[in-house]
Amino acid sequence: MTALDFQALAPHLTLTGGLMVVLLAVSFWRGHRTAFALTLLSFVAAFVALWPGLDAGPREVTPLLMLDAYAAFFNGLFILIGAVTALLARRYLEGRAGSPEEFYLLLLMATLGAMTLASAQHFAALLLGLEILSISLYAMVAYPEEDHPPLEAALKYLVLSGVGSTIMLFGMALIYHSTGALGFAEFAASVATGDRADLWLVAGQVLFIIGIAFKLSLIPFHMWTPDVYQGAPAPVTGYLATVSKAAVFAVLLRFALDAQLLEFSSMAQLSIGLVLAIIAVLSMVIGNVLALLQDSIKRLLAYSSIAHVGYLMIALLVLNALPDGTMAVETTLVFLAGYLAMTLSAFAVVSELSSAAAGERDSIGEYAGLFWRRPVLAAVLTAALLSLAGIPLTAGFIAKFYLFAAGVEGALWGLLWALILGSALSIYYYLKIVFAMTVRGTDVPAVPTSAAGVATAAVLGLVVLALGIYPAPLIDWAGDIAQGLQRLP
Amino acid sequence: MTAVSVPIEHVLVLAAALFTIGLVGVLVRRNVIFLLMSLEIMMNACGLAFIAAGARWAEADGQIMYMLILALAAAEVAVGLGLVLQLQRRFDNLDIDAASELAG
Repeated sequence: MTALDFQALAPHLTLTGGLMVVLLAVSFWRGHRTAFALTLLSFVAAFVALWPGLDAGPREVTPLLMLDAYAAFFNGLFILIGAVTALLARRYLEGRAGSPEEFYLLLLMATLGAMTLASAQHFAALLLGLEILSISLYAMVAYPEEDHPPLEAALKYLVLSGVGSTIMLFGMALIYHSTGALGFAEFAASVATGDRADLWLVAGQVLFIIGIAFKLSLIPFHMWTPDVYQGAPAPVTGYLATVSKAAVFAVLLRFALDAQLLEFSSMAQLSIGLVLAIIAVLSMVIGNVLALLQDSIKRLLAYSSIAHVGYLMIALLVLNALPDGTMAVETTLVFLAGYLAMTLSAFAVVSELSSAAAGERDSIGEYAGLFWRRPVLAAVLTAALLSLAGIPLTAGFIAKFYLFAAGVEGALWGLLWALILGSALSIYYYLKIVFAMTVRGTDVPAVPTSAAGVATAAVLGLVVLALGIYPAPLIDWAGDIAQGLQRLP
Repeated sequence: MTAVSVPIEHVLVLAAALFTIGLVGVLVRRNVIFLLMSLEIMMNACGLAFIAAGARWAEADGQIMYMLILALAAAEVAVGLGLVLQLQRRFDNLDIDAASELAG
């Protein structure tokens, strides 16, 4: 490895360094504030290190990692979300018996795993990144271990996510058996020359896609999602709903691009496209229908996230019609930036109203009258929910608009109908919460909130609105990244 | 003496059979320890498939993937057993349904 390789890896290395410092610091000086401050400092340092990393350029560091603007975009988002989660977790974990310091270690580690996924271009890097992320998340979900729901959620997540990983691994093994390729680009080269209808290859690709669908909680592989979202502590749910989804989708898109997953017109490839389309339509429709029935706000957001990942599959399937990938990448980046902002702000509000000691504010009834009790938090939640519903002047509108444009270009009419139907259904349950918040005269015991947490939520709410009102910089940036990624013909 | 070579497909079929046994175990067993064991069987089936594939291409990559899988399985089980201890302490029971309160 040369100096330039290390420079390209600067964000990963900085975060690893920060992780070591926090680890050593909490073993000598136990203190919530020390651990929190060092964690925040590590995130800031890693964020600053993105720039030297970008200067080194699109650069392949070992055959495993590709550090380009695409990876840097996601790394930046993950670092920011990590920092926001640390800010929210600080007040949440206060007052809880037992030590809160290790939570921050797990948070840093999970972020490192997500960053590895965003730059993975090889099955080994995919496996390592995914498992660093998932295993840290199991422990984060179970962190308030005196409580019952987190324990149950963590066990369910561990078993079902483990099943997803092993299915994906078996798929990788079969792909390796029939193509001899572990790198994404090698895979494309080998499939282009070899026998594309090889049974082992088809089975391997199908298992790989099923494993990814487990991780993205697409229907019918979604059964763990509502329970885990409901049982996990609110700051962790927010992190899970944003970082782990976005990281897996980032690597899936890179795989589809580099490995030309949807480009060959053989039966095997066509059937993968069809299976993905069916899964996407099911997720959009069933996800939204099940969300209608929920009384718990975290479960509702879980089904809404299933539906949103379903919408996002449109961006991937556009590759079928427009294989150069510019459209797919631009749409994905714009959609995910909006989705992450709005989902995180919704969970930030839930997390600000809950705490490990006092329990979760979860049922919609407990949000009644929030506008009169906590106007700032209620306004942020309203912005987030309207954005999730796709109302204009919010980030969610731009995100859906982009998906729609991409779908029209790719002539994916069936998926577009599902998108329209799903969005129409979703308006009802998002507005249900907004209306509940305006009801007067309810008496729900207040949880002490912290100025830092409320400020974080408010900033997130403003980001959601800003992305909706003035999206031009984001769109330009996403366009540049997409152009840079474009494969040479 | 001639070396008897096993056709690669046979090894893959064995791996697939092991994988299926593990998957069925996860689906039907309710005891958490058995769930973790079934997961372990599935992971080892993946490892076996990787080693067979590596042998087919005469590369070390398959074996390296196996080592990564081993490390991953160990990490996963470490967290899993931690949760099992908590479950035992709380419910005096290792049945996963005993801990089922979240509506499905």
